[in-house]
Amino acid sequence: MTVRELESKLKFKPLNQIYDKEIDGAFISDMVSDVMAGAKAGNLWVTLQTHKNIAAAANLVDLAAIIIVRGKKVPEDTLQMADRAKLTLFATDEDTYQVAVKLYEAGIKPGK
Amino acid sequence: MTLRYCRGILNSISGPSTSIFTHKGTIPAGIKGARMSRDKCNHSWTMTDVKYGFIVTEKCYHCNLVRTYFTFEEAPPKEEYKEGAHYWNYEGSAQSIKFNMRCGQCSKVVTFEDLMGLMQCMACDEACHVNIISQICEAQNIWVYAGLAYKSGKEIDLPAEKLDVLTTYFTSRLRTPGKKILVLPGSLRRNPETCRGEILKDVGMVSLTPET
Repeated sequence: MTVRELESKLKFKPLNQIYDKEIDGAFISDMVSDVMAGAKAGNLWVTLQTHKNIAAAANLVDLAAIIIVRGKKVPEDTLQMADRAKLTLFATDEDTYQVAVKLYEAGIKPGK
Repeated sequence: MTLRYCRGILNSISGPSTSIFTHKGTIPAGIKGARMSRDKCNHSWTMTDVKYGFIVTEKCYHCNLVRTYFTFEEAPPKEEYKEGAHYWNYEGSAQSIKFNMRCGQCSKVVTFEDLMGLMQCMACDEACHVNIISQICEAQNIWVYAGLAYKSGKEIDLPAEKLDVLTTYFTSRLRTPGKKILVLPGSLRRNPETCRGEILKDVGMVSLTPET
């Protein structure tokens, strides 16, 4: 699945431009350090963090996109950082569990 | 540390025709040395010995000196204490990790006990070398991070070999064609005290970071 297909199939709300990339698994964590240590390139990151260093970390590891859960408001500087890194941010009011179930049902497996 | 080092490492990942070091900015003082020679092994690095802890910033209110250190304590210490002429006060903290790198082929381990974190430039200072290099590199899809290291409370530069290992490791994890990571020494920042670069750490993790 690609980032654009994710948007059209699962109806997550894009917060910035969609940068279409192939998604290769999902990584769920609210810790930037976890992403640095454990996420893989192409993973879709599900988190409730909104600080701009989520984009810096995702860029370092080459993630496909980020889904921000539970309706968290995303600061403008995070969106700017995401655009700089050509990284799509999605928002949803659902919680992490609900998003994980949706992703699983859509065929996106845990990122490894 | 060393624009020459940066030129060497950039040439190694981007080819000698790369022009980022032809910029006419001021070359920082103290340039010396070049990158270390490569080992015979074509290393394949993996992150190992990952441990969680806290990056703590403290300040002496007598002389306004600010310093940063890493602690593996369960919670960052916040007590004021005296050390020599300084009275250190807790300024803030964020969770982060320490790690080493191990080569999967020759089992060599490179330790990063002094690495405080990786920082991405936020372009706060037009004359800063990290900013200049970042802007030129990003046009070539090379993403610059500064490796910030501290020893005994003072900022130091990681040895060239370790910067090279970080560059190689993080670049090897990428999937996007043509994209590269370049880890530079922190001393290329023009003014570390006013630098607003974004250090990769767990900012705002209130569930894990005790409130101040």
